[in-house]
Amino acid sequence: MYPGAAALPPFIRCLAAALVASSLMVGMAHADDYSDVNQLIRSGKLSDAQARADKYLAGNPRDPQMRFLKGVIQTEAGKQPDAIATFTALTQEYPELPEPYNNLAVLYANQKQYDKARTALEMAIRTNPSYATAHENMGDVYAKLASQAYARALQLDAGNTNVPPKLALIRELFSPVPATARGGKTNVAAATPAPAPAPAAPPKPAPAPPAPAPAPVAAPVPAPAPAPAPAPVSAPVPAPVPTPAAAPAPVPAPTPAPAPAPAAAASSETQDAVESAVKSWAAAWAARDMKEYLAAYGKDFKPAGKQTHAAWEAERRARIMGKSRIKVGVSDLEVKVDGAKATARFRQDYSADSLNVTSRKTLEMVKSGGTWVIVRESTG
Amino acid sequence: MTITASRALLCLLCAAALLHAPGAFAAKRERAISRAAVAADARKDGDAEARLIDVYRQIGQGEPVKALAEAERLVNDYPQFQLGQLVYGDLLALRVRPVRMLGDLPESDQRDAAALDSLRMESAMRLKALRERPPAGSVPMQFSKLSPSSKHAIAVDASRSRLYLFENSAAGMTLIADYYISVGKSGTEKSIEGDMRTPLGVYYITGSLDPRSLKAFYGAGALPINYPNPLDMRQGKTGGGIWLHGTPAEQFSRPPLATDGCVVVANPDLQRILRTVEPRSTPVVIADRLNWVPPQAAAAATRAFEATYSAWRNAKTKGDLLGTMAFYAADFNSYGKSLADWSMVVQQDIKRNAGRAIQAKDLSMLHWHSGGVNSMVVTFGEVADGAATGPVRRQYWLQVQGLWRIIFEGTIG
Repeated sequence: MYPGAAALPPFIRCLAAALVASSLMVGMAHADDYSDVNQLIRSGKLSDAQARADKYLAGNPRDPQMRFLKGVIQTEAGKQPDAIATFTALTQEYPELPEPYNNLAVLYANQKQYDKARTALEMAIRTNPSYATAHENMGDVYAKLASQAYARALQLDAGNTNVPPKLALIRELFSPVPATARGGKTNVAAATPAPAPAPAAPPKPAPAPPAPAPAPVAAPVPAPAPAPAPAPVSAPVPAPVPTPAAAPAPVPAPTPAPAPAPAAAASSETQDAVESAVKSWAAAWAARDMKEYLAAYGKDFKPAGKQTHAAWEAERRARIMGKSRIKVGVSDLEVKVDGAKATARFRQDYSADSLNVTSRKTLEMVKSGGTWVIVRESTG
Repeated sequence: MTITASRALLCLLCAAALLHAPGAFAAKRERAISRAAVAADARKDGDAEARLIDVYRQIGQGEPVKALAEAERLVNDYPQFQLGQLVYGDLLALRVRPVRMLGDLPESDQRDAAALDSLRMESAMRLKALRERPPAGSVPMQFSKLSPSSKHAIAVDASRSRLYLFENSAAGMTLIADYYISVGKSGTEKSIEGDMRTPLGVYYITGSLDPRSLKAFYGAGALPINYPNPLDMRQGKTGGGIWLHGTPAEQFSRPPLATDGCVVVANPDLQRILRTVEPRSTPVVIADRLNWVPPQAAAAATRAFEATYSAWRNAKTKGDLLGTMAFYAADFNSYGKSLADWSMVVQQDIKRNAGRAIQAKDLSMLHWHSGGVNSMVVTFGEVADGAATGPVRRQYWLQVQGLWRIIFEGTIG
């Protein structure tokens, strides 16, 4: 996706992990403080949350996690300049952390400063190229900037293009959000924690895609990029093992993430069912069979952006039927099943008329009435 | 999205076509590079277009990120350049979705399909003009002979939405710049007042209007031309007020077919024209499609006419009134004066010259051949031997049943 940056992630991740480990070890004893503040934010008791955070910061003025939470409180309380100051300071002191950049972007976008939002998101992505939320927010900012440029091109009054896009605010630093949990607006359900970069032999080749049986302890590392990242072998980083104890906040996700032993336990039968659902979806699309194609999507399917289901359906119909020839290839298909939910990631080779697009596609699916249907579709 | 996707955009953005005309493109590219050297000089004539083409080129080379950065600088410098904004919008959109064509707006933004089509047409016209460059050293066929006293000349090609600016000297004409232009909403070949068409023919700039006296709509200034000329009037054409003018502040350029009949140029381009040309002596040829030929070929095409013109001059030199008047058309008209009236004017000229030979000083001949009409516009100083100066005459000749006849003659200075 970002060709130049592809070589960086593993190293950066190690760095971030190290930082997290060290900074959190100090604050370990206060892990409860984080979750308490978090709880207060969630229940809307912002001034209590603020008081609690300030109290904590009085003793640990540089603590990044709590300062981050403070920024979230300020954002929620509508104190935008304060929130901007808090997150800006974090980006200056911890430039390797993507989350503060992401949240700065959210604030800037809200103030319609889309160029600043874009710059902040570029930084977030540079520090963590597989940062799904930042990518999605970036998509919204690009779409907004494009829409503004189009309005100027056609000299339309900017009237109804004036509503700033609602970008996703990250509520916690270092939360092990899996790359699949796109649209992290509320969805933080942790499914597959990434394996810690093993300290094994120093000049280790690529920390390849996660082993099917992940270590049960969540390493405070965002899931690796789906892209086959060519590891920069050079740095023999004595990868600091994030001690299990360093596990950050217990992720008080809105969905209590049941996660009963995932992938490994999933029967191959289920795997096959999901794979065949993906393949029929691709086949229906290529055949321009709208009935079958739309049937591949569940009634809970949430189109990207703020599109309604009906508008999405109409758009798909127009796009697909407008082509004289469509080919859809699915390769490198990787399926993760988690009970009645599944995530299918693959390389999609799409060609229609004179257009050829290769992209990474992620389908989030649920089992509904015996069949697997798509509830979320994302690219990247 | 991957690079593959952006490559796909290349074909669709029609910029690709540019790359298939290596000669023309290379020339343009050199200009673009020399412009880059004076990048600080934004608002220079032709700058916006050269930079737009550079953006297209980056897209063509599969460099959508660089193209986006360049497009962003372009719209920062020219926020009213709508086509630039459209391409910028596409490049931004390309970061999140495939872009299949120029101006691939999401349906929700497609509120003005006509405006979008106009911008696509503008892009196509700009590319067409850059792809189909005039051969080096050639001139439009209409310039049979241009006296060095006309230091500049203008030719407009409506089929390419292009204006060509020439420098002229004893050594001949040199193309020094060319610009995208807009013509009438209903196209060309103006014939009646209010038909929203741009006239076709051979004209002269008659003056330069002070922009402070003009509405903001006309932009940096205006150069009126002499439509309807005597040939137009003879053909019963009506209307007037045809100007070469600029654009309002809120619009850098206008669609190819947009005006009430005027020829409209972007303000930086018009300013260069205003700084360059002289009113009255600068001819303006407006054609549907310019025919570019070597200068010798343009001159050769009217050699037969030149013989006729010399015969007219000889008859007048000899004081042969009847012989002279034989060159004038029966329906001759000079500002209301009929052939009989004009015969008396010619007689007075002959008397004044008293047998001295008539020299044609600063002779210019412009050829207008369109449909069944074959005509010449001849301008010269009628100087008798021994005299320092003489009146500047302009004649309109028309070929009628194979014979060249003067349909109009007047003194312009």
